[in-house]
Amino acid sequence: MRLIFKNLNVLRSTLNAISTSIEIKEIVESAGVNLPNLFDFSSFGVFWKEDLHLFLYQEESCPPSFSQEVVKNMVKVFSILGEESIEVDRMVVQVEKRKLRPKQMMMDSKATLKSYLTLPLTVEGEILGCISLNSDQPNAFDAQDLQFLSVIGYQMAATLKHFQRFSSIQNIAIYDTLTGLYNRRYFEERLGIDAQKSFYSGTSLSLVMVDIDHFKKINDTFGHTEGDQILHKISSLLKTSVRKKDTVARYGGEEFIIILPEAGLEESFIIAERIRRLVENTSFEAGQAQINLTLSLGISNFPSHRAKSKEELVKMADQALYDAKRGGRNKVCIYAGRSTQ
Amino acid sequence: MTSLVREDKGGKGSSELVLDLYSNLLEEIWEVVSALIGETILAFLFTLSIRTLGEKHPFLMSLKVSEDGISLDETREDCQNVGPVEIHRGFQSLINHLSHLFSALAEGVINKELFPKVFPKVKEAERIISQK
Repeated sequence: MRLIFKNLNVLRSTLNAISTSIEIKEIVESAGVNLPNLFDFSSFGVFWKEDLHLFLYQEESCPPSFSQEVVKNMVKVFSILGEESIEVDRMVVQVEKRKLRPKQMMMDSKATLKSYLTLPLTVEGEILGCISLNSDQPNAFDAQDLQFLSVIGYQMAATLKHFQRFSSIQNIAIYDTLTGLYNRRYFEERLGIDAQKSFYSGTSLSLVMVDIDHFKKINDTFGHTEGDQILHKISSLLKTSVRKKDTVARYGGEEFIIILPEAGLEESFIIAERIRRLVENTSFEAGQAQINLTLSLGISNFPSHRAKSKEELVKMADQALYDAKRGGRNKVCIYAGRSTQ
Repeated sequence: MTSLVREDKGGKGSSELVLDLYSNLLEEIWEVVSALIGETILAFLFTLSIRTLGEKHPFLMSLKVSEDGISLDETREDCQNVGPVEIHRGFQSLINHLSHLFSALAEGVINKELFPKVFPKVKEAERIISQK
């Protein structure tokens, strides 16, 4: 009886830890820390279908061949349950090794998978992934283990579903639905963080404001659907032309803005010029026609332009963009005061 | 088992008898397995099995599965023109498929609890069919 109470307490704290986790890795970690008090296992796995991640929390002495066997088995069971085959090569497997057993019970280097329990992570009829307890010992699990694992799986599935919902709400809040770029709201937020960092430390920060030349004509000639497709294509070109740490956002209509942290004027100009040339040399499909487009770009930089706020930095980039337009379009201009070219 | 025989004498057709028998059997499976893996997962497995077998045994599609259990109310209406052998085969396939899923998930752990209860009832259904 005392053992049941002890197990229930462990189960309770495991469920609590899972439900208060804020990311999948934390779920696995919190479950992994508690599970050795409930089960004797060699490896505990969580597979999340959404991003093809498989987390393994396992005994330190677990040989790689055992881990591979566990992965294969989980994929096999999931394929039966999810009615879809998963390519093991496409999966991201993360292994966390912990000392779960005393030294005298360490696993043999040739240990193989002898028993397992795998359960689907399912909510409202949808399968999100699966969890699995695995052992190198035969008949390692019984009905009570299955009961406990199902309760843990239930909580895990509910928490993962929350993550999924939260992430889709988050996506709506930060991404522009048409282009897939960050939206203006996110841009403002991101710029606030990056500008604060730069203003405080004195490190360089550049902004590039981008506008598609004569875009109105495209919409008028080919219609808004074609116009939207072009916006989408240009957005992809922008995304592929910047560095990993840069933020590309749709500022409004056919205007985009790029935050370049730690980029001086020279580097910013190189990036902006690369974008301008790339678009200039790309042929866009509009209905049956192939058309060419150009961009105008304006750059502002901290500390070069002595902006005192993020708003001022945006205004400066906008002014430089205006200069590029006034200067004949299809060019990159650096902010140089009100009457610059 | 005794009550089924008595109902038979009272005029129940054997399709209905087979349905009664499998209704009890599914209820029993639900009771045993839901205690082990929970209603949510079990409902998922039932739905998956029915979807897999629905093309071959269309009457199975009228089984209603939820986290509260499994209901044969609509199946009874749908099966008025389905023979006992077909009903038996459909349910037998469903149970075999479930049992295959249980093995895939938990090796022998679920089936060990389930077989002693399921096996005699499937035999009983076979007996009713063979008497017909």
